[in-house]
Amino acid sequence: MPDAHADQDWRAWFADHGARLRLIARQWTRSDADADDVVQEAFVRFWKHQRHLPGDPNALVVTSIRRAALDLLRRTDRRGVREKAVAAETETVAWFEPEADPRLQALAQALPLLPAEQREVVVLKVWGALTFEQIGEQLQLSPNTAASRWRYAMEALRKLITARAHD
Amino acid sequence: MTDPDHDLERALADLRPRPPGPALTAALARELDPPVSRRGVVIAWTAGLTTAAAALAFGLFLGAAPEEGAPAYQLVRAEQSPVEIEVLRPVRLEDGSFARPVRARWENTTQWEDPRTRTRFINYRPSEQTTLLPLETY
Repeated sequence: MPDAHADQDWRAWFADHGARLRLIARQWTRSDADADDVVQEAFVRFWKHQRHLPGDPNALVVTSIRRAALDLLRRTDRRGVREKAVAAETETVAWFEPEADPRLQALAQALPLLPAEQREVVVLKVWGALTFEQIGEQLQLSPNTAASRWRYAMEALRKLITARAHD
Repeated sequence: MTDPDHDLERALADLRPRPPGPALTAALARELDPPVSRRGVVIAWTAGLTTAAAALAFGLFLGAAPEEGAPAYQLVRAEQSPVEIEVLRPVRLEDGSFARPVRARWENTTQWEDPRTRTRFINYRPSEQTTLLPLETY
């Protein structure tokens, strides 16, 4: 099969996209370290087996991340729920770089507070650059359900940052 | 999609996810590096956005004059130091509210080596970022 991206410098591609891929992986993992492991496994798997395929590599890499994350969750499923809860509380503050703009600060703090099923749709749409149809394929949902979760998430984010502004 | 949703989506897109850790960056570099280095290849492997610019400049340096016997650098290490957080005294903002300045300092160090001549190219970038954390007053 001809290589559709023969001229692509994949190290440079990852340097450009690694941060958002890690954020996506973080939605389905219990810690930053797990997210790093998942991104490494997923990207190497993509690079070895799928980088020659035509089309935008982004959706393929996101699919690879989702699979690697689910594999890791299955392997570590016997870990305690407590560990998951602690990790979720202690590490969500570090998803984004510090921002000087108060509205962005509020958003960065509000996003991790969303229910997981809404948050993953937001992350896949904003940082995964996926359509609702592609998000539906990733999460095994209908596009309408994905769009509905997006609307609920936007409403919830508005309430959270408004409440914060009035504190 | 309503306009408020669109505005919120644009604001979300302005948030900058934290880059992968240096261990992941170095591990991927090892996986992706070809067994035989190609002279003049632009090396653009970085530990984060801050080092991306340095790597690009270095790649241009390599690609500018590929001479016979010119060094062929390979990435050997990408490190990010632990972030030092300094919490400063609260300040009063123009709107009357209070906020606490927080200063974060860290360093990114990226090293490339030419295995033939054992010469190293080291990029060291200290970084500092200050932000304001709003304080709640009662």
